[in-house]
Amino acid sequence: MATTLEQTAPGARSAEEERLIALRKRDTRRKWFWRIAGYVVVLGVWELASGWILSENLLPGPTRIVETFPDLWNSGRFGESYGATLTRIGVGFGVAFVFGALLGIFTQSRWVEGFFKDAITISLVSPGLIWALTGLVIWGFEPQGWIFAIFMTTFALVTINIAEGIRALPKDLIDMSRAFGVTTWRRQREIVIPFLAPFIFTALRFGFSVGWKVTVLTEVFSASKGIGYEMRVASQLFRMDEFFTWALSFFVFTLILEKLVLQHYEKKFFRWRQEVTV
Amino acid sequence: MATTVTKAPARDAGLSRVLKSPGTARILFPFAVLGLWYFIYYTIDSRIFPSPQDVVVFMWEEVTLTSGVRYSSVAANLYVQFAISLMRLTIGFFVALIVGTVIGLAMGVSKSVDAFFHDWVMAILAMPALVWALFLGLALGFGHLGPILAVILAGVPFVIINVREGVRNTPKELFDMARAFDVPQNKITRHVLVPSLMPFFFAAIRYAYAIGWKGLIIAEVFASDRGMGWTIKFWYDAHRAKGVIGYALFFIIFAMILEKLVFDRLSDKAFKWRPQVNALEMAEGDFGAVTQEGFLLQESLVQEGVPIESMEVESKDG
Repeated sequence: MATTLEQTAPGARSAEEERLIALRKRDTRRKWFWRIAGYVVVLGVWELASGWILSENLLPGPTRIVETFPDLWNSGRFGESYGATLTRIGVGFGVAFVFGALLGIFTQSRWVEGFFKDAITISLVSPGLIWALTGLVIWGFEPQGWIFAIFMTTFALVTINIAEGIRALPKDLIDMSRAFGVTTWRRQREIVIPFLAPFIFTALRFGFSVGWKVTVLTEVFSASKGIGYEMRVASQLFRMDEFFTWALSFFVFTLILEKLVLQHYEKKFFRWRQEVTV
Repeated sequence: MATTVTKAPARDAGLSRVLKSPGTARILFPFAVLGLWYFIYYTIDSRIFPSPQDVVVFMWEEVTLTSGVRYSSVAANLYVQFAISLMRLTIGFFVALIVGTVIGLAMGVSKSVDAFFHDWVMAILAMPALVWALFLGLALGFGHLGPILAVILAGVPFVIINVREGVRNTPKELFDMARAFDVPQNKITRHVLVPSLMPFFFAAIRYAYAIGWKGLIIAEVFASDRGMGWTIKFWYDAHRAKGVIGYALFFIIFAMILEKLVFDRLSDKAFKWRPQVNALEMAEGDFGAVTQEGFLLQESLVQEGVPIESMEVESKDG
């Protein structure tokens, strides 16, 4: 009797499993159908709108943008602009990250937290434009101007994340490793860093996406190269095809960065976690 | 004699406790900024960098309308400029709220609709307000429509995402139970759907307002001839650092007032039934880098110091 039960049970389960797999497949297929439909409809409306509703020069369609891209790429301005913009983000956000992370560590003290509380709120709620203009009006075209703007808009994001990460550290594991005489270096490497990593990744993501927006803004006012500068020039010369190509190219660039680089490293960092859950 | 001995340390402890309290630190912060400002002012010896009293005098003249600056024939002073910006923000905000709620509800209910809109919502979210501002300025001229559209474009993705997550988070068991007990539909809506949607909807309001404001002033710089954004640009173009810093402070004061007085009160009311809301729980969805920014900000706006636990959960899934 026990054997019959055992025999029927796996059979029933596999049928259920097959049904589930079929359902999931249908779900995926439907999802992809609607996703592609979304692309077709939006791009189609866009293509039709350029020329019918708005002038083709004002709102170039997706095909025009695809055609413009190779021209821009061949002009050599692409590498230069991306280099300039990414350098700005790198330097500005780098400074903000170091300061924000240190602040995140020190805000474990209630006094420091109270001291910087308003600074963090101000950094989160105030528009990037005011920092861009304030930095420029004080420092002119010196790098301090844009570093200040990027710094003021991004450091609080890092601080919040690092502070939360430290609060979430496993105190018991650290205590245990201390009791068993694990060296400080190894403790940092094997407990603190892996637990902090997701928070650091989140901070990097948030900081990058906020930082890029304020960076283009500073480039509009105070740069002679970079994506923001190119966008402004393109719009002033009424080259809207170039303008949209610049804007969309960075979106695609961040998508690639997210999918290939960040997620790759994230997987690397969190391999140990999946092992635990499996 | 014994009493005097015990009294002295007690008073001392009281004073040091006051000094060590986070509240004191918070009060100290503006003074520290002021000190730093004076320090920079006296060390860099620049002709354009204003001292704090210059800026305060400037702000006072703007507030009392004694500066004699007439910005334009239509928007003559601070109050008119501010009113224009606020009007644009409010109109754009309500349109974004309505459009976003409709799309967000549809995306939350149906997976197909979700797949249809998802990537495009992300794309709009990832665009800097600068892109909208430059384009709208060329397309629509310097009227009200451009800045209003900029507010809508900046705010709508956040409304959509939050409402969508709100619908997904409604407790299915409660609906089933309500149906099993023959609770009328309007009661279900009022007592189950609305309360569970409320925190998400509230987060949507708050974030759409804050992000819409940021988008608006950029649009006003590039696509308008009046409004607060235009005014700060006016002082920038005039190379008057005291004007730029003064208006930057007006912006900060406005944002802080909104934050502390309006939204904190509102959230207390909206979440009366719920002791605590962890808004980041909604970030568990499949949204990429850009959205999480929104959630984090919104989280910090909704409530300072709420543990961000779900972040770990999220990364475990990935």
